[in-house]
Amino acid sequence: MKTYIKKFSEELFSGLKSGEQLGLFLHSEDSTFLRFSQSKVRQNTSVHQHEVTLQFNKEQRSLKMRFNLTMHLEHDLQSAKHLLDDARVQLMQMDPHPQFIALKNNGTSETFKKVDRPADSEVPGLIYETYKDTDLAGFWCSGPLRQASINSEGQFHFFETDYFFLDYSLYNGPKAAKGYYSAEKFSLPEFQAQAQATKNKLNLLNRPMQTIPRGKHDVYLEPMAMAEILGTMSYGSLSQGNFNKGYAPLKKLKDKELKLSPKFSMTENFDLGLSPLFNSVGELSPNKVNLIENGELKSLLTSTATAKEYNIETNFADVSEAPRSLDVRAGTLAEKDALSKLGQGLYLSNLHYINYSDVQTARMTGMTRFACFYVENGEIVGPIQDLRFDESIYNIFGDNLVELTKESSVFVSTMTYLKRELGAFKTPGALIKNFNFTL
Amino acid sequence: MQTLSLSQELPKRFGSLFEQQFNHYKNKADFVAFKMISETTRDFTVRNGKPDMMHTFHDIGVLIEIMKDGHIGYGATCELTPDGIAKAFAAAEKMTGVSSKYPVAKFDMSVRPKSIGQFKSQRQTGLDQLSAAQIYDFLKKTSLKLKVNDKIITASAEAMVIECRQKYMSSQGANFEQDFNIIVSAFSATAQDGAETQTRSLHGGRGICLQIGSEFFDIDRTLAECEQTSAEALELLTAPNCPTETCDVILAPDQMLLQIHESIGHPLELDRILGDERNFAGWSFVQPQDFGSLEYGSKIMNVVFDPTASNEMASYAFDEVGNPAERKYLIKDGILQAGLGSLESQYRSQISGVANSRSSSWNRAPIDRMANINLEGGSHSLEQMISEVENGVIMYANRSWSIDDYRRKFQFGCEIAKQVKNGKVVGTLKNPNYRGITVPFWKSLKALTANNTVETYGSPYCGKGEPSQVIRVGHSSPYALFNNIEIFGG
Ligand SMILES: [Zn+2]
Repeated sequence: MKTYIKKFSEELFSGLKSGEQLGLFLHSEDSTFLRFSQSKVRQNTSVHQHEVTLQFNKEQRSLKMRFNLTMHLEHDLQSAKHLLDDARVQLMQMDPHPQFIALKNNGTSETFKKVDRPADSEVPGLIYETYKDTDLAGFWCSGPLRQASINSEGQFHFFETDYFFLDYSLYNGPKAAKGYYSAEKFSLPEFQAQAQATKNKLNLLNRPMQTIPRGKHDVYLEPMAMAEILGTMSYGSLSQGNFNKGYAPLKKLKDKELKLSPKFSMTENFDLGLSPLFNSVGELSPNKVNLIENGELKSLLTSTATAKEYNIETNFADVSEAPRSLDVRAGTLAEKDALSKLGQGLYLSNLHYINYSDVQTARMTGMTRFACFYVENGEIVGPIQDLRFDESIYNIFGDNLVELTKESSVFVSTMTYLKRELGAFKTPGALIKNFNFTL
Repeated sequence: MQTLSLSQELPKRFGSLFEQQFNHYKNKADFVAFKMISETTRDFTVRNGKPDMMHTFHDIGVLIEIMKDGHIGYGATCELTPDGIAKAFAAAEKMTGVSSKYPVAKFDMSVRPKSIGQFKSQRQTGLDQLSAAQIYDFLKKTSLKLKVNDKIITASAEAMVIECRQKYMSSQGANFEQDFNIIVSAFSATAQDGAETQTRSLHGGRGICLQIGSEFFDIDRTLAECEQTSAEALELLTAPNCPTETCDVILAPDQMLLQIHESIGHPLELDRILGDERNFAGWSFVQPQDFGSLEYGSKIMNVVFDPTASNEMASYAFDEVGNPAERKYLIKDGILQAGLGSLESQYRSQISGVANSRSSSWNRAPIDRMANINLEGGSHSLEQMISEVENGVIMYANRSWSIDDYRRKFQFGCEIAKQVKNGKVVGTLKNPNYRGITVPFWKSLKALTANNTVETYGSPYCGKGEPSQVIRVGHSSPYALFNNIEIFGG
């Protein structure tokens, strides 16, 4: 693929006329998707998908055109040249782009990563044998994924990673416990141990069901529940462009009207090594961008286009201004002490379907999901019926944040809308008081 | 332009390869089908009268279906060459082979009927006749209309202009083509004054979703609507918050769209009921034995699956495995009748279903999806409905949504509400929200406006599936009055 895209782009660059610039962003994957229910295969899909986005710049105007590569050079050049010819005509019928940024050479880099994983053909048997004594529903994803950002100014960044994950839940009737496995090196004993841990959690759900009244309860959020809240925050709330356009849940934090807890810090941290440092136009992000430090907002994710529009500094975020490698700083609470420190309250392993109910006050609503328990005297009493919460980020990560755990979990993105998404969250668990439940 | 656009040229270029390759492979497994999807999208956004996002997407690829010992598996590729198809077929064959030893279900050929035919979505003038400059010009004019003064900090106009073609051939003899012209559009104004920010849009985020041609771009009508949208955004800056109380609620069709989608559409999907979606989108409170007996709502509630509605977002002649699509009652006089299940789910569950096996594109396997799910009208006029409300609110245009994985406990927020006292609209409220539980909520449905007030919206992005997929859905509804609903403000 590297050789192909190099040859393809060079052919296109050689056909550019004076005053024209061309950038290419490649997303390519050879993926195996296995969908399970009852620990057996519901659907298997093997996907070979290679798409390239051409960014054509001319006279302060810019058009992005995406199409799929057939990997047959003549065909692909024919499609690309067709698009470029159309673009030359269409662009001149539109106004200059106020955030127009000329392409520049952001250097060259190559990264190749490959985890050690079982052959795809072994996976259906592996899952069935490991989980045949229970009911697993979920999803295995594996295979190489490549991204590249290349342009006519000489830039060439290429990133390839081959990885896998299993995202699943186990069922005993309506009772469910969530599991997740991904590793640099697949190890059967480690895989079986995580399977056993999820089965043990499912067994805890056999204790008598507890009915919890609406109102305020102290909670412990497992890292996976934290990741759900962070996922909702990532979607637009950390974007400088959105902030300026009026979508600004963190406005009071930025204006220093409110503060979060000094225990709360959040960084865009590429040292996690799970996402390329270059964005779709090939700009290299600093390895670390401090977003929130000790409860104060340090920066929002700012793309060069937003920086130009509002005359501020860029931190080389991608156009979407969503975090690509978010790291919440760990705390001091040992995970094993989480229950005793909680004392009385709710142990929440997962949250679900979170959305802002009021953007201006950063209030979010969502549901508890999977293994969630009522805890008394530091002991699990029994599972709870799902509850709806409605609570502000300013409370969750503000005065109500009691402590974060010492241990953190890393979650490789399991997002697969349209294509596999790179990216990761690293987060500890959190003890939070007075969490507001409404239904 | 004299030459063909790439949207027309690509399917022509690869059409014969597709047929040749299908014929080459059609006898190489118990069952083989090839589907080609070719889709071109022009997605333009103009903000404050200036170009913001100017994107075009040309997506073309082939999905191969293989059946082995009753298990169906898939291979997908955009490498449209004999070598590329060979690689995809080999991968599908290998993984379908090993998976067929551990299958959730074993199907027979009845889940892949021999359908032959063609479908062309409703349009007066094809979208291929529409130039980029025409789309841009329309968006520029409308976005400038939205920006009435400096308090409007963001005035945004977006159009996604989509041309999609599907072709399907199977070793059973199926051979059909479908051709869709679709427009998704969004017009919004965000007003700010001091600490207060409010956004008002035309029918919510991307609620305007239609199968339509270039006749959609009616500039005079849209400019008038944009003017009202901006005026309401400004009005919201000084409007009081929605109160917290339990009262009557009238939901406008552009909020009903989401209420129908989340609390009727999703829980009736048979693959959810069968448990396929438990790890991602969720399960359902509906049980297999509920079909034919569950009182889902009040007696005036009639809900149809209608792939025949003209101009609605998800109309088609066949679903993507060739099941002929027909109109069907899901809920009749408040009683649950049928589920949203494809031939595969019907085979597994023995529950009555519909033609709804659909996928987001060539790179995903088809699953049970919503299409057009519509609530039929009643007998009230809107004036009559309002006059029957002593104390309540009318909510318009969805802006926030959340529901649990069994589709029971929901909470939705809208852009704007009108307060009703003693049968009269008395003012505007900001940040309106309401919450409820699905079946009791639908049982509190008291009145519906007549069929001539029904409005049609949709969504381009209903999410579901592992790997994940988005799908286009359509929902039409009248205004609906519900009694004793919990409402609250910001
Ligand atoms: Zn949906």
